[in-house]
Amino acid sequence: MGMTAVEKTLAAKSGRTSVAPGDVVYPDPDFIMIHDGVVMGAARELDALGINRLAAPDKVVMVTDHDVIYGSARAAERGAFNRQAARRWGVKNFFDVGRGGHGHIFPMESGMLLPGMFYFDNDRHSTNAGAIGAFGFRMGTEISRVLATGTNWVLVPHTVRLRIKGALKPGVHARDIGFRLAMLLEKGVLAADLDYRVLEYAGDLDQFDLAARAALCSSPTEVRAYGVFVPPSEAVLAHARAKAQHPFTPVYADADAKYEADLELDVSSLEPQVALPGGVQNAVDIREAAGTKIDHVFLGSCGSGMYSDMETAAALLRGRRIAPHVRMFIAPGSEASTRRMAREGLLEIFIEAGAVMLPAGCGPCNDAVVGPVHSGEVSISTATNNNFGRFGAKDAQLYLGSPATVTASAIAGKIIDPREFSL
Amino acid sequence: MPTEFDWLLKGRCYKLGHDVPHAGGVVPNRIITGRHFDPKEIVPYLFEETDPGFHERCKPGDIIVAGRNFGMGPKMNGYIAMQALGLGLVCESMPFLAYRAAVGCGLRVMTDCVNATEMCETGDELEVDFRNGFFINKTRDIRREYPPVPDGLLELIELGGNTGWLAQWWKSQQDEAAAG
Repeated sequence: MGMTAVEKTLAAKSGRTSVAPGDVVYPDPDFIMIHDGVVMGAARELDALGINRLAAPDKVVMVTDHDVIYGSARAAERGAFNRQAARRWGVKNFFDVGRGGHGHIFPMESGMLLPGMFYFDNDRHSTNAGAIGAFGFRMGTEISRVLATGTNWVLVPHTVRLRIKGALKPGVHARDIGFRLAMLLEKGVLAADLDYRVLEYAGDLDQFDLAARAALCSSPTEVRAYGVFVPPSEAVLAHARAKAQHPFTPVYADADAKYEADLELDVSSLEPQVALPGGVQNAVDIREAAGTKIDHVFLGSCGSGMYSDMETAAALLRGRRIAPHVRMFIAPGSEASTRRMAREGLLEIFIEAGAVMLPAGCGPCNDAVVGPVHSGEVSISTATNNNFGRFGAKDAQLYLGSPATVTASAIAGKIIDPREFSL
Repeated sequence: MPTEFDWLLKGRCYKLGHDVPHAGGVVPNRIITGRHFDPKEIVPYLFEETDPGFHERCKPGDIIVAGRNFGMGPKMNGYIAMQALGLGLVCESMPFLAYRAAVGCGLRVMTDCVNATEMCETGDELEVDFRNGFFINKTRDIRREYPPVPDGLLELIELGGNTGWLAQWWKSQQDEAAAG
């Protein structure tokens, strides 16, 4: 019987000819990612057991993205600890402050993460790997076992297929699909439970570049998908071949693969969406939220931190300024993007517009270590989610929109349909 | 692997409803945000907000039977307390990452046990075989078969969860090295 993309990937990485949902396997990962905030916990756990070496230091990738600029003495202490841990573990792929950037973005841009790969990560937004046709599985604190032994148990998940039909209208973005999808799943209009499922896209996907594919991975994660997979297009493969740091073999589902559910979404008439405060699933057409005055804007995160997201914002901000009462933070996904933004004039546009540039990384989306909101304030952002308290006061009103929507709103000082601005 | 591990629990039923969240429903949120992982610090607060003093009344072998969507949030704290108290957990369903957290704490747990809460009431005398998937309510003379703990996870639970498993693994690595 045929296999879905995740089944084929897990079979290949586990040395088996086939796997089925419910099997327990121990995949051999292409690499192991650990983010800055959890190195200390993992190291202390291993130290307490006397485990003083990692199974495969060459495979370990340590990234600094959650708290890049050390807003506290505690963060600086953690940074020093991480540096020392990288040294004593012999981790060469250590991306310190100002190196690399966001762990769920720069590996795809730089050719470290390639189609067909599988890796372990402590963080659940490793689902972003699906943008390039790979899988990253979240281990949480169990990343310590992966560091020590090189693998961990994985229960092969079921796969739900979503067929995208039609092309997006101008001004509508892949993030809008994700918000809409979360709402339709929550309301039961699309009948599937994504808890610990892989969402595999199909259908009219050639319209989505790598950044749009990362956007497609974002909202399903917030409604508990464990993996997302977008079969690589010819354009994505061309990018991967041009950047590849290793040989790679793309994986595609078999034609006779078995899916737990088969869904379809026609996006041809989709309007820009806004997720109302409380969750990505609270999506509405933008006209229902338009006019809401805002204080705070954030562009970036796993879902909207790639170079073309920055280009979308720059096209709107060129020659314009953000509203006087709005503060806008921009966090690119990688240091390479920041440098390219400098070369191609985007940084100048953002700074002239009155936005504040943050280092490549998670920005406010990680526990408000930078750029938080205050009680009663209103924010619109491209953060991964807008659960209450996601970045600051619990009673702040956090809206989500696409890169175009949040940028247009920053200019207008209120939530606005980006199509109202001529480019 | 220890041979004395008991996969068959005999005890009283403690029944919960559907959609019990980890924060508040299992342990107070302050236990989670305060990052308490020492069983001694968690046990007194198990089910504190819904049933204060539970930890004093329960006995090793008692079985928590929960409805659908138990333990939302991939948190370990409550499972650490349940494991320390010698309890078992039977759920109609739980989010996978909650299940993974429970297994990682070495808790005897079975999920996807359809309508389990309709088979029992608090105080009933239960026997649950987590290895073979048998659920027996002796008070009501009901017997059901449910999905047992997968074979691939038996050792992890027998060794007390992630930390116990890692300790055992490291010891075997050291022994192998010493044996040359």
